[in-house]
Amino acid sequence: MTQRKLALAAVLLVISAASVVLALGTSPGAAKSSSVFKAAWIYVGPHNDGGWSQAHEAGRQYVQKMLGSKVQTTYKENIAVGAQFSQTVASLVAQGYKLIFATSYGYITPAIAAKYPDVDFEQATGTYQAKNVSEYFGAAEDTVFLSGMAAGAAAKCNTIGFVVAYPIPEVIRHANAFALGAQVTHPGVAVKLVWTNSWFDPAKEKKAAQSLHAAGACVLGQNVDSPATGQYAQSVHVPWVGYDSDSSKFAPKSWLTGSVYNWGPYYLKRVKAAMNGTWKSGFYYGSINDGFTKLAPYGPGVSAATKATIASKEKAIENGSFYEFAGPLYDQSGKLRVPKGKKMTVNQLYAMSWLVKGVIGSPKG
Amino acid sequence: MRFTVERRLQQPRWLVVAVPLASVLFGFVVAAVVLLATGHDPVTSYRQLFDAAFVSTGSLDQTLIAATPLAFTGLAAAVAFRMRIFNIGAEGQLYMGSITGAAAGLYLGGRGSASPWVIAAMIVAGCAGGAAWASIAGALRAFFGTSEILTSLMLNYVAGYILTYLIFQSESYWRQTKGFNATVFPTGKPLPSNAVWPAWTLHTQGGIALPLGAGLAAVAAVLLWVLYRRTRFGFEVQVLGDSVGAARYAGVRTRRKILSVMAISGAIAGLGGASQVGDFSHSLDGDPNGLQRQGYGYAGIVVAALARYNPFAVVLVAFLIGGLDNAGNSLQGADFPSGRVGVIQGIILFSTLGGELLVRHRVRIARTPQAPAPEPAS
Repeated sequence: MTQRKLALAAVLLVISAASVVLALGTSPGAAKSSSVFKAAWIYVGPHNDGGWSQAHEAGRQYVQKMLGSKVQTTYKENIAVGAQFSQTVASLVAQGYKLIFATSYGYITPAIAAKYPDVDFEQATGTYQAKNVSEYFGAAEDTVFLSGMAAGAAAKCNTIGFVVAYPIPEVIRHANAFALGAQVTHPGVAVKLVWTNSWFDPAKEKKAAQSLHAAGACVLGQNVDSPATGQYAQSVHVPWVGYDSDSSKFAPKSWLTGSVYNWGPYYLKRVKAAMNGTWKSGFYYGSINDGFTKLAPYGPGVSAATKATIASKEKAIENGSFYEFAGPLYDQSGKLRVPKGKKMTVNQLYAMSWLVKGVIGSPKG
Repeated sequence: MRFTVERRLQQPRWLVVAVPLASVLFGFVVAAVVLLATGHDPVTSYRQLFDAAFVSTGSLDQTLIAATPLAFTGLAAAVAFRMRIFNIGAEGQLYMGSITGAAAGLYLGGRGSASPWVIAAMIVAGCAGGAAWASIAGALRAFFGTSEILTSLMLNYVAGYILTYLIFQSESYWRQTKGFNATVFPTGKPLPSNAVWPAWTLHTQGGIALPLGAGLAAVAAVLLWVLYRRTRFGFEVQVLGDSVGAARYAGVRTRRKILSVMAISGAIAGLGGASQVGDFSHSLDGDPNGLQRQGYGYAGIVVAALARYNPFAVVLVAFLIGGLDNAGNSLQGADFPSGRVGVIQGIILFSTLGGELLVRHRVRIARTPQAPAPEPAS
């Protein structure tokens, strides 16, 4: 036994010695400063998830295309919050990246921001700001509302299924907007929620869609990252409303429409600012008016009449004569939450923890 | 020609050295083929790997972030597997340790107790949480003969749901409820400063922060070595691992041993959980997209197997695997999908583990004529 133990120690010593030798033979890690500006994107799922991360990836490619050889961009995919994010940021900083877009909430902590004062961070969907941390997102609720109108019009029964990620205000307000939209074109329709507790989990999303369909939903919608819900919807011949990216190709027959993001122009503006030294911390909330959010092209299942109704509502949202989160708004129990004549502010939307009347499910998951 | 694998009667000492080394090399060579086939220069890729794991400024800091929990879960697996108690539940025991450790830190820290006491209480609470959780599977095995592999594995999911529930689905003691940011996205309540674990800075490579948890893992390794090599308890556990019948005949109390080994294993994993809170996250991480995605408990089984359940080797292997894990994040990018990084890491680990076969067994090549004639069909 002692001999084996000694031998084992020897093996491990040799392995570590070998790695040290290999390591010493390499060039110093820090990249030489060059004139090319480096910006990186960090994704919570795969870059080609068919939804959220893919929309950000399209934005990155837009930046690379517009600025050409003046910038070097890269992305890191499937990055977990916490340890893995901190390791990823460290390696990016070591390689000379100066601007990092973290495209999910919970990534950037005050400790990370303080550790790299010379690096500028941007975080999507959050509210934490610091000297070197900006936040950005947009009023997807407006376009999610419009997509809900398409779902309501397509529903031949009284239940629409909605696959949702986490029981957090961002998802709750989108579920509410979707339900309010559906109620416009289909008064009295119920929107049933199933939570997956994950941003990207195609297997769970499919199961959620399955259970919603089994519970009587005749149209499916989603606030999760993959198009698994749509693929399931097509297999059982029910219409589907997507989210994040135009993912009609995954289920062309079921596809109605979806609220999609156009991150590219914002990214380009911020990268340019960082390059010429005018980058400042801020909070950007894009809208339908500046082209940040829009409705994806319609599928075959949307009638001309529905398209016209949606178009007129879209106009009304654009010119400010209509807002879906204006009173009177009632919660699930029928209690008046927003009185007539009042509008919810962005801060109230960011903290929304109650579901509107007609939604079936718990805001606590 | 026919290959037969047979057990070696003796294990030559040089083999114990040569086989793992050759296996690692073999893994790197096979991975290099994959790299070449996908259009990457293996030398550049491997350099980048070592740079990011051990060389460039701040890289060791990040490697220790992955290595510290792996050392705990590796020790947890090693201590149980040695007795052939297959505790697959280090993952869940780590979560429970992080919950109890965070509770102690928030409560005592908030009351303003002196820092060393708060930290000591967090360590004890973390161990207790992990041990209690492991004891469920331990008791089921000891008294009802239920397979601890299944129960401890299932309890991982239960622990994960509890962790998520505490932060995302309830306004529990662990959840931050003050401030606007906390209403936008659920987070854990931050630890008071007297509950944050200290780190010692080594002044090389631009300063490496050595977390308290890494030191505790090394201490745990020494204690386990003493326990297994120098005490009657350890001797009895090893006899049980080798032959249950012989141990019973010698009067070893099997049930007690199963219960204690599971509790010790869980306590070490739970300590890893407390270290996650005290050393790194400084709040309970209930995000399903955070700690639960790291899979430290499962990776610990690989660490233990590579270290042949030797506690000192576990610490070293955890450091190397932590480096590999950390470096993977540096390798991936727009031109290198994360899935391919997983393939490279998998090939290296698989080759190293697979090589073990050749230490204990030998492959004989027999020519067909000399092989025994096939038995006639009956």
